[in-house]
Amino acid sequence: MRSAPSDRAASLRLWRTTPFRLTAIYGVVFAAGIGALLGLIYLSAAGYLTRQMDEIVLGEARAMSAGRAETLPGRIVEAEAVDRRKVNYYGLFSADGVWITGNVRDMPPKLPADGRPRELVGRRFQPGARGLATQLPWGEVLVVGYDAKVLSELRHIIVESLLVSGGVILVLGLGLGAAMSLGPLQRLRDVQRASEPILDGDLSARLPVSPRGDEIDILAHISNTRLAEVERLLGEVQNVGNNVAHDLRTPLNRLRALLYRAGQGIDEGDPRRAMLEQALKEADALLSRFRAIQRIAEIDRRGRRAGFAEVDLAALLQDVAELYEPLAEDAGQTLTVALRPAPRIQADGALLFEALSNLVANAIKFTPTGGRVWLRLATMPGGPRIEVVDSGPGVPEAERDAVLQRFYRMGRDERVEGSGLGLSMVAAVIRLHEFRLSLDDAHPGLRVAIDAWPQTRSAHAAPESGPAAARARPWILGLFAAPDAVS
Amino acid sequence: MPRILCIEDDETTAREIISEFTALGFEVEWAADGREGLVKAVSEPYAAITLDRMLPSVDGLTIVSVVRQAGIDTPILMVSALSDVDERVKGLRAGGDDYLTKPFQTEELSARLEVLLRRQRRAAARETVLAAGDLEIDLITRDVRRGGRELKLLPTEFKLLELLLRNSGQVLTRSMIFESVWGYRFDPGTNLIDVHMGRLRRKVDPPGAEPLIHTVRGSGYALRAVR
Repeated sequence: MRSAPSDRAASLRLWRTTPFRLTAIYGVVFAAGIGALLGLIYLSAAGYLTRQMDEIVLGEARAMSAGRAETLPGRIVEAEAVDRRKVNYYGLFSADGVWITGNVRDMPPKLPADGRPRELVGRRFQPGARGLATQLPWGEVLVVGYDAKVLSELRHIIVESLLVSGGVILVLGLGLGAAMSLGPLQRLRDVQRASEPILDGDLSARLPVSPRGDEIDILAHISNTRLAEVERLLGEVQNVGNNVAHDLRTPLNRLRALLYRAGQGIDEGDPRRAMLEQALKEADALLSRFRAIQRIAEIDRRGRRAGFAEVDLAALLQDVAELYEPLAEDAGQTLTVALRPAPRIQADGALLFEALSNLVANAIKFTPTGGRVWLRLATMPGGPRIEVVDSGPGVPEAERDAVLQRFYRMGRDERVEGSGLGLSMVAAVIRLHEFRLSLDDAHPGLRVAIDAWPQTRSAHAAPESGPAAARARPWILGLFAAPDAVS
Repeated sequence: MPRILCIEDDETTAREIISEFTALGFEVEWAADGREGLVKAVSEPYAAITLDRMLPSVDGLTIVSVVRQAGIDTPILMVSALSDVDERVKGLRAGGDDYLTKPFQTEELSARLEVLLRRQRRAAARETVLAAGDLEIDLITRDVRRGGRELKLLPTEFKLLELLLRNSGQVLTRSMIFESVWGYRFDPGTNLIDVHMGRLRRKVDPPGAEPLIHTVRGSGYALRAVR
């Protein structure tokens, strides 16, 4: 089953295109690179600044402790007074830890008085602030600190630039990616649109190729070359099929004529006559098969609306029923017609009659004695629906598609005669009308339904879960598939 | 001996037509070219003409129209490889009396031509009652009687019997019957026509009565009354 257009379209989203993905990946890598760069700068700067601050703190502590003990509180107050940036910390504590002077009023934790610079922790210090505590020769403890204002500023600057540049890169990257994807996306959509008729069986359609010669063009070109080859081969096969059918008919007709004449010359009751008549019957069966092949080709070739006119389906169905009622009776079956008034439709009445005849003949053929066959006309929201239902063995769900598309014989009674092309002919007629044909379980038996209104592309290509549906497909494909089913 | 003109460029087909009609007792003249055929068709009297649709020099459709415009109503059976319905309609519209698609069965050809010849002979008389032996049908009242006994026929059966009676003594192939009675041209399968004919037969030829409807093995049916 081919995928529905909606599926096909779903696979074509902006973020799935190669340019978009590439740009997005570039953007992420670039942003990560910038992050790493800024981080490295920050770390180096922070290391450098920490060393500088340590030097400052050490120098300050040395200067303070070098003076006399009694002038120290005064010098601290003085130093604080000239520190306009408020980056210096001082604290003078007595040997037993009581605050004497300075803007550090509590002994900072985790700061042993060993004269080595350490990070200051505490609420009033900015992260990264450095400081030391040292025991003065006269027993008091001096705390000198230097706040990490520069470091904080730097960190702030770096984070900000990271955010801003990251955002810009992200937005630019996405935008660029989208912009770069739109072109290819549009072209892919064109390709997709161009390939719909191909999927629907029109092998003469080609994919668009731009003069750019990029990768899409290369792919389209490859596809087109293949399509041309497939079309040529299929045309050849179709011609061979038609010609074979045509060319074989002529000698077969002569053979039949000879058999006929030979039979005329022999007395009734002579066993040779019976043999000749059997041969005549076989020749007739062969001829009808070839006629059917040519007929299907003819229907497929026919102009869309050539024989279209207003058709009264109820009358048409009544005629079909009248034509087949004696056959059903002969087979010990009941043929029932149930007609609901339905609007007239535009159709090729003769072809529709032929198609319905095929369906009813099939139903009668495969339904055992005592069975029933129904011919129904119902009105659906979209238009009239024709149903041919039988109480026969039905078609297993797995084989419904095959029966329609490949004329396959199933495990049905081998004695049942048939050209095997009947359903293929029906499918060709349905295709011509753009109607929909579906096979279904009638519990028991087979229900063949024809939705007799033109199916819009999306509707008739909708994925089929239950009933098998006929799809547009060159008839010839079916001929080479499997042995025949029904005539 | 009645003469038939065969306008046909394909030699094999022409030979087939000639041998078939010669066997049936006709004299057949063969024109392999459109121009020659047209000249013969308008200048000499023929009982019937078989005409190929596609011919060198003058094409079949042109020949039919010219012949008809010349006021000649010789029955024309068109024989063509073009099987499309449109082509058939064109051929009949141009003035052809019947249209047979190539390749054909020779019995089909002769059966159709004989019907055309017969129609030609009968064209003047507009009968309202058709009869054969002790069978009689009234086309107006739609009464059917056999030996004075009234038969009840369904509409299709009546049409079928009317066709047989109109062409009594002649072989009608299954496709001719299907075309005339149901008006469709496709192959409904041999069995279908046989079943319909069987039904009609049970009514028209009851056991004990001299059978009127005869099966012609290998080709079709004929209504024959023994006099």
